[in-house]
Amino acid sequence: MEAGPFGIDPLVWAGLRLFIALALAIGLVMNGALLLIYLERKIQAVMQDRIGPYHVGPFGLLQTFADALKLIAKEDLRAEKTDAAFFIAAPALVFTPMLASFVVLPFAPSIVGADLNIGLLYLATLGSMGVLGIVIAGWASNNKYALMGGLRSAAQLISYEVPGILSLVTAVLVVGSLSMVKITESQPGPLVNVLIIPFAFVTYFISALAETNRTPFDLPEAESELVAGYLTEYSGMRWGTMLALTEYGNVTVVCGIMTTLWFGGWNGPGVDAFPILGVLWFTLKTYAFILIFMWVRATLPRLRIDQLMGFCWKVLIPLTLLNLAVTATLLMAFPNDQLPVAIANWILVAALVVGLPMLQQRRLRRIRERLRTRTLGPATAA
Amino acid sequence: MLDILEPLLFALLALSILGAGLGVVLANRITTSALLMAFTFLNMAGMFVLLGAETIAAFQVLIYVGAITVLILYGIMFTPQAPRSYGLFFQQQTPAGAAIAALVALPVMGIAFAFHDAGPVGPRGGDLPRLATSVFTDFAFPFEIASVLLLAAMIGAIVLVKREP
Repeated sequence: MEAGPFGIDPLVWAGLRLFIALALAIGLVMNGALLLIYLERKIQAVMQDRIGPYHVGPFGLLQTFADALKLIAKEDLRAEKTDAAFFIAAPALVFTPMLASFVVLPFAPSIVGADLNIGLLYLATLGSMGVLGIVIAGWASNNKYALMGGLRSAAQLISYEVPGILSLVTAVLVVGSLSMVKITESQPGPLVNVLIIPFAFVTYFISALAETNRTPFDLPEAESELVAGYLTEYSGMRWGTMLALTEYGNVTVVCGIMTTLWFGGWNGPGVDAFPILGVLWFTLKTYAFILIFMWVRATLPRLRIDQLMGFCWKVLIPLTLLNLAVTATLLMAFPNDQLPVAIANWILVAALVVGLPMLQQRRLRRIRERLRTRTLGPATAA
Repeated sequence: MLDILEPLLFALLALSILGAGLGVVLANRITTSALLMAFTFLNMAGMFVLLGAETIAAFQVLIYVGAITVLILYGIMFTPQAPRSYGLFFQQQTPAGAAIAALVALPVMGIAFAFHDAGPVGPRGGDLPRLATSVFTDFAFPFEIASVLLLAAMIGAIVLVKREP
């Protein structure tokens, strides 16, 4: 255990550091959520040729502050037939793992809550814990739409965890460490991991969209069919914690993982001279990914539940498994050369980009043919 | 100070595990039992961290809390909930349960108290290399057998629930 500054007892310093890290993380999550909601509304507005929030403050910047104050001031409502203990516990069960994830995100050299040597495994673990809270929320609400939303999300999150973790494992194979700090330090130059293993990045990006319940995978809260899914019975700050804080916190965490694993984390010009610049690079990269998430949300329609599950189990998991096997084999065959891995990965990316539309076209043609033959069958009688 | 902290943490975790475990058996609602079981698993993970096995702790949470408890809850939600206060299956067999518990607990306690001078559990920080080495070298065969067994169980489950079109 390292001694703290000003000769503080190491044990006291460990506790103090945890407290500071937690306070920073809470501040980051709260302010980050306010900023991200504003960004999302503004970006969607721009993409849909609207103006977006502009009444409160300059450029509507204070709009989300006003919304947050409204949420906090709201009456603490709970429907009578809900299950009190579980209903109250669920937002905490969803929020806590997300908050704990911030501990291992490396913002800059030596600015990290704790450099765990199993950092990435820790993040994957916490990512899987949030499901529990969502399922509990759906069940405790005593509402069929909430229950459906909770069950859908359990199925979706557990399924998409598999390709997500497999993609992470591929990246870990190339780097050779699970520690977030070591992963960042392994990509100091312009040759970041995304150039070596782009396919793992693509598959992780898709699973990250699904794991954070973002469009096109936001089925658990599909408002046109499920009211608001597991959030139906929630209001006030409980709703705010579950939806706003947790969703945007999770988006920040997965974007931070992508930044660290594939884009060199805090590395950037001038970091060696001024380590604090790392915070800037890390934040910029992370927010670039968040902007892509918002762009995707404004662009793509929502999938159907069978399409969602089919895509995960029939396309994503076989492809990530193939990628893992190929990467592992090539790394064993050429331990000192990353070029073969890079070539194989880029071929896989090309195959995905070219192959998926072709497969989709063939499938559509088959469906169309089936529909044409069916119009002569019993469908016309009905 | 660390010398006081460790037994204190151990006592806290052990009491939580025992209390939550009792709750799993004694709770009247099956959802409460499932959640308390998740709590037990979390505390077990804390126990592993205390022993210096962080990787096993992480896998404990990843698999048991993140997957198995959720699947159990999934199963509970698909089961019709009768509006009655019912004693769970295992609450009606107290004497037999106590006998079996004692039968298991006595040898375990005997073994536990036989370790008078157990050495330190190993250097702090990083059980990952050791775990990986032992799984993929010394215990590669049992590991593979367990994998094949799980695969067979999975295929069997799929075959069992597959309906003919």
